[in-house]
Amino acid sequence: MKRRMALLVLITGSVFGICLFAGPHGINPFNMNVLDRVILFEVRLPRVLAGALVGIALGASGAVLQGVLRNPLADPYILGLSSGASLAAAGGLILGIALPATPLLAFAGAAITGGLVGILSFRRGGMLPERMLLAGIGLGFLLSALLMVLMSLASNEGLRRAILWMFGDLANAEWSLIPYGFVFIAAGLLLASARAKALNSLMLGDDLSHSLGFSPHRERLVLFVAVCLMTSASVSLGGMIGFIGLLMPHIMRFFVGADNKVLVPSSALAGGVVLMLSDLAGRTVISPAELPSGVITTLVGAPYFLYLLRRRDILHG
Amino acid sequence: MDSGILSLLDVSFSYPGSGQVVDGLTFHFGEGEFACLLGANGSGKSTILKLSCGILTPENGIVKLWNKPLNEYRGRDKAKLLSYMPQNLHLIAPFRVREVVEMGLYPYDIPPLLTVDDAIGMVGLSDKKEVAIGNLSGGERRRAFIAMTLVQGAGILLMDEPLANLDIRYQVEIIKLLRDIKGVTTAMALHDINLAFRFDAVVLIQKGRILAKGTPEEVITEELLQEAFDVKLKLMRHGPQTFISYQ
Repeated sequence: MKRRMALLVLITGSVFGICLFAGPHGINPFNMNVLDRVILFEVRLPRVLAGALVGIALGASGAVLQGVLRNPLADPYILGLSSGASLAAAGGLILGIALPATPLLAFAGAAITGGLVGILSFRRGGMLPERMLLAGIGLGFLLSALLMVLMSLASNEGLRRAILWMFGDLANAEWSLIPYGFVFIAAGLLLASARAKALNSLMLGDDLSHSLGFSPHRERLVLFVAVCLMTSASVSLGGMIGFIGLLMPHIMRFFVGADNKVLVPSSALAGGVVLMLSDLAGRTVISPAELPSGVITTLVGAPYFLYLLRRRDILHG
Repeated sequence: MDSGILSLLDVSFSYPGSGQVVDGLTFHFGEGEFACLLGANGSGKSTILKLSCGILTPENGIVKLWNKPLNEYRGRDKAKLLSYMPQNLHLIAPFRVREVVEMGLYPYDIPPLLTVDDAIGMVGLSDKKEVAIGNLSGGERRRAFIAMTLVQGAGILLMDEPLANLDIRYQVEIIKLLRDIKGVTTAMALHDINLAFRFDAVVLIQKGRILAKGTPEEVITEELLQEAFDVKLKLMRHGPQTFISYQ
């Protein structure tokens, strides 16, 4: 297992390097001119870092949520966090609030929605998985409806900017956001990894989790906070990127098994790899125009998910 | 039964919207005892087991483990002394048998004596170690979870209908397996009255109270069973064995 994880780390590092230097404007790392340096450090590096961070956050969040909710179809957006982020961010764009404030608005929107899901799903001393799911879906619908209202009242320019943001795009990644994103995503990932055994036990049901020495309500709350931190930060950095959170845990289960001690970090790394490559494809395929990376991940991810569903027993591993 | 290592003292409990399920129950699990809980559906067997291991908290009264209130134990410390196996096991868990059994080691920093492989062998699943738990039959899945409980190595095993869905062969083998573990106190809710004769002690439960407790011969009588299950039945003896016939 250690060898597989080492291989995954090596692949992630290699893809990171490739994505830095490859693209419509190829850069030779051994012979860079001034323009190359500007592109590399001012444009590529923050963009690839943002892609890696967002992919890591989504992959890890997906694995954690599928365990916490005991639902193989769960992904980081099922709790309505993305709808909250979209409403706040798109609202800001439509109302003409300066673009740099958008990630902050998205983070606030997702975090507030996470808090609401927590409050709504609280019953008999803790958050219950079924109620978390229902509260998330219900809130998601409500916030999406409010977003529609807002969009129908928006100007053409505001509407265009909001739609582009919602597609999920790393083109606006900038250095100033990377440290904040890194801190929140690293905190969420460390929290989730530290509670991986508890997450395994929760997947067997609350009674067995309790019998193994865990407090199911407390563990669910800690893991929920970890997911909220990672998802909120990822939406604020890269908008809505589909299918990574849903798909990566399913793919990685075939390679590393279902033990969350390995599955959470490996889904995180795989998410980073896939999003960096999707972004590379998005800025290369129809160059000089660009496709948002969220469109690429969904175009590739949805058919692959259906293929997996057909070929493998997704529910039982 | 009076020197209890696990005691429920004047315990009462009710679920929201229902009447009192357990009302003023006092009960002791004796050290090393191999006991079964018998009773009709809804009699409170599962609730008593859940109160005994701390999954449910009594509204009144107290549960004591080794003379210390159960709620004063840290989760991991309690898990080394007391384990519980629920009646309903979740099916959508993508773990393999080995991964599930390994979870029995979670409360420990230094693993106890029984290895994961040994426990899997004891329940007859050595050839299915790497099979996903969801792809096992109901009985095999149950045995995998029993192996996890064995690895956990607690001195008290509380099991809610662990023999459900098992073939007769495995019902008998699991009872023998649990009975042969020295120094372990076992209490399991049971449905099949005929199997109760294989236990040291039988606790007959009716409406959340103890109707009778004692050896199988003392408790399994036509009068007590008719009162507990509200059905006419007959005890038939064949040599040293006793069977139940339902009318």
